[in-house]
Amino acid sequence: MHTMRAFVSSLLSLLAMLPAAAWSADDAWAQAQASHLWQRDEWLKLVHYKAGAWAGTWRSDADDPRFFLADTGPQDPRAELAATLAAFAAPAELGDAHAQCRFVARLSWLRSELELGELSQPDCAGYRKFRDLVQATRVVLVFPSYYLNSPSSMFGHTLLRLDSGEADGGSEYLSFAVNFGAIVDPGDNGLFFALKGLTGAYPGQFAVDHYYKKIQEYNHGENRDIWEYPLDLSAPETERLIQHLWELREIEFAYYFFDENCSYRVLELLEVARPGIDLTSAFPLTAIPIDTVRAVQRAGAVQGKHFRAAKGTVLKQRLAALPPELHEVVVELSLSPERLDDDDLQALDPATRAQLIEAAYKYLRYTQTDAARDPAVAQRSFRLLQALRRQAAELPGDDAPVDPDRSPDLSHGSRRLAAGLWTEEEREYLSLGLRLSLHSLQENRAGFPLGAQINLGNVDLRVEDDGRLDLNRLDLIDIVSLSPRDRFFKPLSWAVRTGVERQWTGGREHRVAHVNGGAGASRAPWPGALVYSLATARLEYNHGYADRLQPATGLRGGLLQDLGALTLHWDLGAEKFANGETRVRAELRHNLRLSRHQALHLELLWRDQQPEDTLAVGLRYQYYY
Amino acid sequence: MKKLMAGAVLLAVSSAASAVAPGGPNCGWGNMLFEGKSGTGAHFLASTTNGTSGNNTFGMTSGTNGCSVSGTLTYGGRAMINAMLNEFTEDVAVGQGDTLTAVAVALGVEKEDRAAFAQVTHENFGVLFPNENVTADEVIANLETLMLADARLAKYVA
Repeated sequence: MHTMRAFVSSLLSLLAMLPAAAWSADDAWAQAQASHLWQRDEWLKLVHYKAGAWAGTWRSDADDPRFFLADTGPQDPRAELAATLAAFAAPAELGDAHAQCRFVARLSWLRSELELGELSQPDCAGYRKFRDLVQATRVVLVFPSYYLNSPSSMFGHTLLRLDSGEADGGSEYLSFAVNFGAIVDPGDNGLFFALKGLTGAYPGQFAVDHYYKKIQEYNHGENRDIWEYPLDLSAPETERLIQHLWELREIEFAYYFFDENCSYRVLELLEVARPGIDLTSAFPLTAIPIDTVRAVQRAGAVQGKHFRAAKGTVLKQRLAALPPELHEVVVELSLSPERLDDDDLQALDPATRAQLIEAAYKYLRYTQTDAARDPAVAQRSFRLLQALRRQAAELPGDDAPVDPDRSPDLSHGSRRLAAGLWTEEEREYLSLGLRLSLHSLQENRAGFPLGAQINLGNVDLRVEDDGRLDLNRLDLIDIVSLSPRDRFFKPLSWAVRTGVERQWTGGREHRVAHVNGGAGASRAPWPGALVYSLATARLEYNHGYADRLQPATGLRGGLLQDLGALTLHWDLGAEKFANGETRVRAELRHNLRLSRHQALHLELLWRDQQPEDTLAVGLRYQYYY
Repeated sequence: MKKLMAGAVLLAVSSAASAVAPGGPNCGWGNMLFEGKSGTGAHFLASTTNGTSGNNTFGMTSGTNGCSVSGTLTYGGRAMINAMLNEFTEDVAVGQGDTLTAVAVALGVEKEDRAAFAQVTHENFGVLFPNENVTADEVIANLETLMLADARLAKYVA
């Protein structure tokens, strides 16, 4: 094949010397046919083709006619290649609209594979301008971390950053961020948004913009820590990436929240940049952002890691550095900077005084996140800043925020397999479980914030002693967000869960469908611990009740204690149903980390559901991958 | 060439961007110090999209929006200071920080002069930020005046 191509190329380069430009596209096509060039991985990646249901069929992910030069381009790599070669030969007068200007990455690749002869030379002013502007000597994979209060961002996010020159300590603010996201209708409410996000009803596009806007959006606006993973892309690979970005300008892809999302498209970009690297095939069904980061790490393309703390993280670390007895003063100062003139604060040693002013200023600004400008607050802020400037020399030197939770790429695997043994009311059974994502409160929390639980798609099967297989429980959505409140931070804690589970009703076990929600507050009484209480509401569909659909209200509280390898989660709840039934339960969960990806889980589940109470004890082995 | 880094910006048309969008012929788009962010509702939606900035994100502009740009700090740099004015102010007060470096880079200040830049701005905090109602444009003008008067920094704004 290769010699054949070389032969054809040399033949064609001979022919190319003849003064006839009109047939050069045909020639190029003849060469492409000889080597079946449209079947090459580089071409398939450049046009975003995916194998179809039948062997030999293709379908491009791009949902945009502007991305194709052949009418059948979306499903025909061969026709698209032929049309691309033909379009490259069009007269130069087309300028920016010329295929050579639109599809610069295709042009580079085809040039390297074929003897294209003498092509017309359109003036690609638009691309030149873009290329002059978007310089990059380094590409960085960026992971804005979990954002618990926004359900669709709680899995995190990934984007790319293009650094030019030396990007260190601030200059990366002007770097370019490459982001794939859905373009939403601002009128859509949360529920509508979720539905459309799941079904691909939103178009997604790549955007290129300054990185400081991402710092503002994530670090400042949403208080999410950002982890940055520099990649080892070479200059030609980076060039290819930028060229392809230009091709994707304003091109629409359907945005699917679970699979064809931001992180998946970022992987595709990297596959175009580095031919031969396989990153996307590991994500046929879902692309959880942190898993895509790990895929890039496994492919050996990551070198290093950088932590960029959220505003709230910095504030917490500054507060932690202050003596606790001054915490009240931080609040006082933020309300009235004149307090600085008081004798007790004048008497403080200069370093502590400087740290106190800094903390008060940061706290005051933190309280103003998302708030409109308030002249009185602005004045207080300014006075604190003036005081800080006078005292700044006394601040301790090395105050770079440190990663509080270990970076998210070090967390346990996102999927979980579990096998367990249960005994309940003199019956024994085995359980087999699969969870598609992601993390429960009591699990190995390295890489996750304490108090975060995000489970989507958890199935637990029961194998009875007669071998019968039955559904034990199904959690479609199971989210808990416990953020401790203290003097400075007043977040809401909440929980949402829906699925199918078993409940004892009238002395019999029933499979019931349910939706639960709760809201309340958490506190951190001592290090590594959270106590919480939530008011709850429940809607249950239960065959054991005369009126099958029953609402209930209740209370729930518990303790989460991180003891290193062992984590305890004790949860108590009581509910009263509209039909008068009451339920009380205690669930004691103990999770022992065996290794990063393995754990033993011991669960005691006591339930008082009239007329009698039941106790179930289960031991489960959990493997994460 | 370095100054080009902060050159034209790829303008994003979104709720967040419109807060810093051109406001008229009088250069009136500069954020005031301690300006708030956009509303929470818009912010929630923006966040749930996993960070799209909307369409036209590759559309370029190098316009000056009616402001007299000295030619030193180009649109991208101005927009950054405008957007990060609060952070910049804090960094100047402390005498160091990422935003301070970013602004120095946007102005084309070479590495060896960044310490001087940090020092001069820190020492002249009151000149740069005379009161809490100062706008980004005023800060930029003050900054240029300040740099012109400094032997090491004058070359970057001359």
